[in-house]
Amino acid sequence: MKRLIAIVEDEPAIRDNYAAAFAREGYTVRSYGNRAQAMAAFASRLPDLVIIDISLEDEPEGGYELCRQLRSLSAELPIIFLTARDTELDAVSGLRLGADDFLTKDLSLAHLSARVNALFRRVDALRKPHEATQIIKRGPLTLDSERMQVEWEGQVVLLSLTEFWIVFALARHPGHVKNRQQLMDAANVVLDDNTITSHVKRIRRKFQVIDPKFDAVQTVYGMGYRWVE
Amino acid sequence: MSLRLKLLLLGLATLVLPWEGTRYAREMESALREGEQDSLTQVAQSIASSLQGQTHLLYRDSAPPVTLGPFDLQPVVLTTQPYLDGYPDEWPRDKTAWRHYPNGNNGGFGILTGVFERMLYVLLDVHDDKLVFDAVGANPLDSSTLGERIWLGFTGPDGMEHQVFLSATGAGPVMARRIETGEYRQQTAVTEPRINGAWQPSPAGYRVELRVPLSMLGDRFGVLIDDRDRQGEPATSYGMLSTQDLHTQGRLIAASPDLTTYLSQFLQPGLRLAVASSDGRTLAQADALGQATELGPEPGILARLYRRLLDEPKAHRAIDATAAIYDQKHQQTIGQLRVTQTGERWLTLRDRALTRMLNITLITTIIAVVLMFVFAARLAVRLSRLRGASESALTREGLITTFPETGASDELGDVARGFSTLLGRLNEYTGYLRTLAGKLAHEIRTPLTIVRSSLENLESEGISDGARVYLDRARQGSERLNGILVAMGAATRVEEAIAGAERTRFDIVAVVASAVASYGNAFPHRRFVTDLPSEPIEIEGAPDLIVQLLDKLVDNAVDFSPPGAAITVRLRSELRFVVLAVENPGPPLAPWIRGRLFESLWQSRTDRDSRPHFGLGLYIVRLIAEFHGGSASAANLPGEAGASFVVRLARA
Repeated sequence: MKRLIAIVEDEPAIRDNYAAAFAREGYTVRSYGNRAQAMAAFASRLPDLVIIDISLEDEPEGGYELCRQLRSLSAELPIIFLTARDTELDAVSGLRLGADDFLTKDLSLAHLSARVNALFRRVDALRKPHEATQIIKRGPLTLDSERMQVEWEGQVVLLSLTEFWIVFALARHPGHVKNRQQLMDAANVVLDDNTITSHVKRIRRKFQVIDPKFDAVQTVYGMGYRWVE
Repeated sequence: MSLRLKLLLLGLATLVLPWEGTRYAREMESALREGEQDSLTQVAQSIASSLQGQTHLLYRDSAPPVTLGPFDLQPVVLTTQPYLDGYPDEWPRDKTAWRHYPNGNNGGFGILTGVFERMLYVLLDVHDDKLVFDAVGANPLDSSTLGERIWLGFTGPDGMEHQVFLSATGAGPVMARRIETGEYRQQTAVTEPRINGAWQPSPAGYRVELRVPLSMLGDRFGVLIDDRDRQGEPATSYGMLSTQDLHTQGRLIAASPDLTTYLSQFLQPGLRLAVASSDGRTLAQADALGQATELGPEPGILARLYRRLLDEPKAHRAIDATAAIYDQKHQQTIGQLRVTQTGERWLTLRDRALTRMLNITLITTIIAVVLMFVFAARLAVRLSRLRGASESALTREGLITTFPETGASDELGDVARGFSTLLGRLNEYTGYLRTLAGKLAHEIRTPLTIVRSSLENLESEGISDGARVYLDRARQGSERLNGILVAMGAATRVEEAIAGAERTRFDIVAVVASAVASYGNAFPHRRFVTDLPSEPIEIEGAPDLIVQLLDKLVDNAVDFSPPGAAITVRLRSELRFVVLAVENPGPPLAPWIRGRLFESLWQSRTDRDSRPHFGLGLYIVRLIAEFHGGSASAANLPGEAGASFVVRLARA
């Protein structure tokens, strides 16, 4: 059965372009122009993945509200924010509401579908039993590349998809310096340096919630970052 | 001319008050003088009329003298009492009052007479080649011992003729003696103590100063000198008396001593009353001119100063009035009365008024000048504060600090409020301009996304190779457009990143060293030289931002240097700052761009390359430097060989 992707976007041209792209990929796509339409449809059937724009017609922050409502309906539903807004604050707010990823519209369709695929892979992996082969262990770090899940000292660290890929790229070759471009490529995103920096910062903070002494992600000034065991 | 000076000059305009006051005082003075003159004339006329016909008082005679005979004496009125010492020091210097009587061709004497109070004073200046005194201890009547002898002949009040003589045995005081014939016709020299004087030798001969009470004298008086060259020698007699019988030949035309007494009853302090003969010679006077009136001069230095400023140097300080004295029948003038009054009276009145007024205006002027100065100073301070604020109001960020003086209720406050409003609007406008790029980027992003997603979909639709060329171009164009958008939003993102940056203590030397090490790979066509201290230097801030700052500076240095050039990164420590400098050879900075280099959206690039430039690099450098409590500046290398960008960061 085809997976159902819902796109909530008030700009018809973008909405239709994305819908066309995902349809080509083999997904069933439903698109909605505002929150009311989307919620009405979701009430009867939840899609498998939702892509939401933050500002929806007359609601400048309607996307956040929609995200909140969807999370209350389902904890596992993958939600991606796709927006023209690219400030730190927007990203933090979006991720705090439980979105799995926060993407700007700069992203190419190819990158976008890579992420959608990755999210579906994670959903699938979570439903399957553990496969040991996909697991990387680096000291207290346990990294399941299939489920895109990270544990530190046995506790799950809730990372967004971008954050997961950054950690994955670093931890796979400990000690190797990954520059920002490499991290962006790994995370299938086009971000500027400051956004990478703030992603790294957020990753550190999430680990520090579990272990205040966490300092495995090191900055190599002028070069990038590396994973230290 | 500064505002302060102008207002000070304005304050000095109050000095017109004392000037006008001075004029007023002068007018008042002349009015007073006229009034005093009038009343003085009245006084003079009334006293003169009381003296009408009093010829005996004026001349001790029934009629005034018509002509002056060769032996007539007219004593001057002496103002001071001569001291009887034989020297003429206390006498008036006027030569015309002297009368001279020659002794043939051999000397002679001069006589000067004067009246002081009730005394007739006589000064004799005798020219004599040989002064011979009487023999000491001899009988003054022994003719064999006689020396020089002076005879005085006069009539008494009763008209009787009297003769006394003066002789001396040496210089010093002398007393007149009278020859009396006794019962047995014996002659004795009787001392006449009322007539006394002094005898002194002089270079030309000798001088005798005498005093005779006017009460002894009638209307005739004369002097005769017996000149001898040896004691006992027959005398050569000459002078004003008859040589035969010593009878008087000349008159003594002097006022009665009662005249002075009479005048004295009208005397007041500050007044002088004088009676003169018709030809103007003073007969008698009563003088209290020098006496202090009840209106004394105003004391104090200021009063004296004002008086000096006000009075012309040769101003008449006294007024006088004359009135003719007529004879009994009021047909002929027998003399005239002159009343002189000191100016002290009205001058004092004037001075008092003037002193008070000048004091008041002086104080007013001082207060006005001080107040104006204070006001001007305050105004100048306020203006300069306003100027300072207006100069610094438009900061490079476009942020306006609060404007001073807006609370003031005067015109300056209006100006300040006007400025404030203007700057407020300007601020809104600059704020709008500053955020315009970000807003524009945001607004353009949506249509750009439409274009890009459409192109991507188009690609998947399977198009011809010919169309793919155009598709690629369209995609390249949209990528460039996207690059521009990213650059446009960069400043806002950096500002946000800085605002959200966390401060930690770190060693800047290590951070710079590791960052510079990576530039070799990034820019293979430049050499990187470092000049770093060996000791670690700790600063407080965000190492990520420092690296970003260095990235921007190095990026800039690479852009403005020729390939193969050596870019130097220096770090040195100062007392409170760490100084980071990035130097590159290349074109020097024009002086006028140096101050603007670190502004947002400003750039001096004239070359065109594919990368979008919004002049944000150095603006970000400045923002980061300021985040670290420092500043950024640019200078040329020595010899204009290139540029040097210097960043100061506060030490931890």
